[in-house]
Amino acid sequence: MDSLSIDLLLRWGHFIAGVIWVGHNYSSVIQRPNWRALNAADLIDDQSPRFQALLHREHGTFRWASVVAWSAGMLMLWRYGWLMGAITLQGTLAPIGIGMYIGTLMMANVWLVLWPHQQKVLGLKPASIAERVRCSRITHLSSRTNTMLSIPLLFFMAAGAHGGLLAG
Amino acid sequence: MRHPYDTAAGTILLGLLLTGALAALARLLIA
Repeated sequence: MDSLSIDLLLRWGHFIAGVIWVGHNYSSVIQRPNWRALNAADLIDDQSPRFQALLHREHGTFRWASVVAWSAGMLMLWRYGWLMGAITLQGTLAPIGIGMYIGTLMMANVWLVLWPHQQKVLGLKPASIAERVRCSRITHLSSRTNTMLSIPLLFFMAAGAHGGLLAG
Repeated sequence: MRHPYDTAAGTILLGLLLTGALAALARLLIA
């Protein structure tokens, strides 16, 4: 394996490990910015105002982070003069172009599939228990779809910068 | 029957398979 290929694999692994690791850290930070002891009501009543506020904060942060990430990526492509080449998957811009399409799909999944169903699951929108259970299956699959898509996404983010294995 | 997404291993395996397929496509587009 040549040096560029090793670099590509290291970057890919670095991104994935970073997201898994630091993602959990940020999840904790968003849910509990300031430490406070739980009381019994926090654990048994998912309609409590405090719990509902936490859910709004957590999901709002994640949804808008997806917009920031997508927008920053598109802005970078535009600034480098790569946007049209990426959209049309031209030559060496094909890897980052594929990454751009995956990222766009992931953001659409968050806003158009996950969020409308998650609002019912979490009780943010009124729904029957049966409907909330049904929606929980959809949100699980939607969430896992993005987890799965993040693997090639991170690969193409890494490959897009240097080509590595793909341009070799 | 369980969906591949119902396990972490299934989700990651699908992600790796998709990565391989798309990497092959990218190589074709670059060539």
